[in-house]
Amino acid sequence: MSTIAIISSFADDTRCARAIEQLREAELGDFNTFSPIPSHKIEYAIGRSKSPVRWLVLAGGISGVLTGLAITIGTTYEWGLNAGGKPLVSWPPFIVICFELMVLLGGIFGFLGVLMLSGVPTTETAPGYDGRFGGDRFGIVVRCDEAQAERVESMLKESGAEEIVREDEAQPR
Amino acid sequence: MSSNLQLAHRKRAATKPQAVESVAGATMKAAAGAMIVLGAIAFVVALSRGRAAIAWEAYLVNLLFFLGVAQGAVVASSSFYLTQAKWGGSTPYRLGEAFAPFLWVGFFLFFGLYFGRSLIFPWVTHPIAQKAAWLNTPFLFARDGIALGAMAVASFAFIRVSRGDGARAWTIATDEIELPPHSIRVLAPVVAVLFAAVYSLIAFDLVMSLAPVWRSTLFGWYFFAGCFWSGVTAMALTAVVLRGRLGENNLFTNPTVMHDLGKMVFAFSVFWIYLLFAQYIVIWYGDLPVETFFIVQRVHHMPWSPLSVACVVLIWLIPFTLLMSVRAKKTPVILGTVSALGLAGMWLERYVLVVPSLSLDAIPFGATQFLISIGFLGVFLLSAVPGLNRVAQAATSGEPVGDDAE
Repeated sequence: MSTIAIISSFADDTRCARAIEQLREAELGDFNTFSPIPSHKIEYAIGRSKSPVRWLVLAGGISGVLTGLAITIGTTYEWGLNAGGKPLVSWPPFIVICFELMVLLGGIFGFLGVLMLSGVPTTETAPGYDGRFGGDRFGIVVRCDEAQAERVESMLKESGAEEIVREDEAQPR
Repeated sequence: MSSNLQLAHRKRAATKPQAVESVAGATMKAAAGAMIVLGAIAFVVALSRGRAAIAWEAYLVNLLFFLGVAQGAVVASSSFYLTQAKWGGSTPYRLGEAFAPFLWVGFFLFFGLYFGRSLIFPWVTHPIAQKAAWLNTPFLFARDGIALGAMAVASFAFIRVSRGDGARAWTIATDEIELPPHSIRVLAPVVAVLFAAVYSLIAFDLVMSLAPVWRSTLFGWYFFAGCFWSGVTAMALTAVVLRGRLGENNLFTNPTVMHDLGKMVFAFSVFWIYLLFAQYIVIWYGDLPVETFFIVQRVHHMPWSPLSVACVVLIWLIPFTLLMSVRAKKTPVILGTVSALGLAGMWLERYVLVVPSLSLDAIPFGATQFLISIGFLGVFLLSAVPGLNRVAQAATSGEPVGDDAE
């Protein structure tokens, strides 16, 4: 009995998410999902644990705040300019700089974290990928035993798959 | 996930309709009635015993707070149309419209201020020559009366259409009907824009004019953003309370709906602190005595300083820290507690905006002001009874919820 790949495409993420939920419930084989847009529905359906990127963003945000404090407090002490008789280290305007640097470094850390963790940029595409999955279609590629293929296909069709193609694992597209 | 929940929701709801009377029925009416009587007695006693100033202060604070809650919630409903929100079917719309009858009550109570005008508005007894064209009794009551009346008329025209079959059909249709009816697409933006204009005016006339030399252009925005947030928070608190009272079958047991309400509470709390800080930083930088004194009185002057800090803690710090995680937003106890504290904070904020202008060196809060506040709460609850029954009906109807519930 050989393992085969079933490639299915969906017109919207609701149907795609429904198919994922059913595949997971039935525990039939292993599958990959392709989505042209970030979709919460698919994310919830896959049920993957939260991305570690958020910790990188937190680290970036905290270093941004610290950088902001260092720049503002450091430069005011360095120059010692008295503005309107206010104390040298007056926090209200520093909040703005700390906030902006928090957003900036948090964003940069998050962006680099995504690139690093997702292995982008890459020239290889995952097996079963189709150009349309980067356009206007959602795709699910299921790898399962040949014996279960019928069940998987009917399940995908029921969930609203537009097109279902069966391929031998040996010859990916 | 959401589709499964909706299915389950529909199945459960089909089996057993709830008696709506149990939600906002005779007991609530009796309790609200008793609160109104207590408040009225306290008010009359205070007027007859020479404590009129204290009574009118409480009257103004509570009028501003409860009008803000009632109007803010209606504007939340109108903004749901503007953003085409379908995350809770028709229930969030009914929830926003539940407190609306207070708009008319508040409209009439506003004219009550006429009798206390010399005790509330400093410019009545000591007119300011340069501002007399704007700050004079007939013009103030005429323009604010017309503004509040127009606001109430627009809100009720909006609610009338919103409760109609056409709008309701759109809120519960998942895909079939693309847009809400034309009339609601006209009335929803009218309510929202009018709200910004009218509540800016109310902020300038009924709060800023109490310290008639002070000015802050952003104050109107700040004030109505607070009104909107208090409306949203009142909706979240109502949802949490009804969740426990409507039995197994209600929409508020759906965690995605609570999550959405939690997001609203979280987001507009941040918006409030943003506007607060935006005003503060400009006044701080400029350092003009005519602008700074208003802040100094509240932030650096005892006994008001701890109350101002408490406002920021209750309205921003607690919601921001506690509601940050998804799980917290979906936990009714946390969402309910944060909302209740937030409403208390918003009431306190109105108090801190109004009262230091009239009584700088002592907090006049005592039995009189407490009982008058209770009286206003009674009026508010009584006027919300029919609306709450509609919420209960919608939440237990088992109608389908839109696909975008997350």
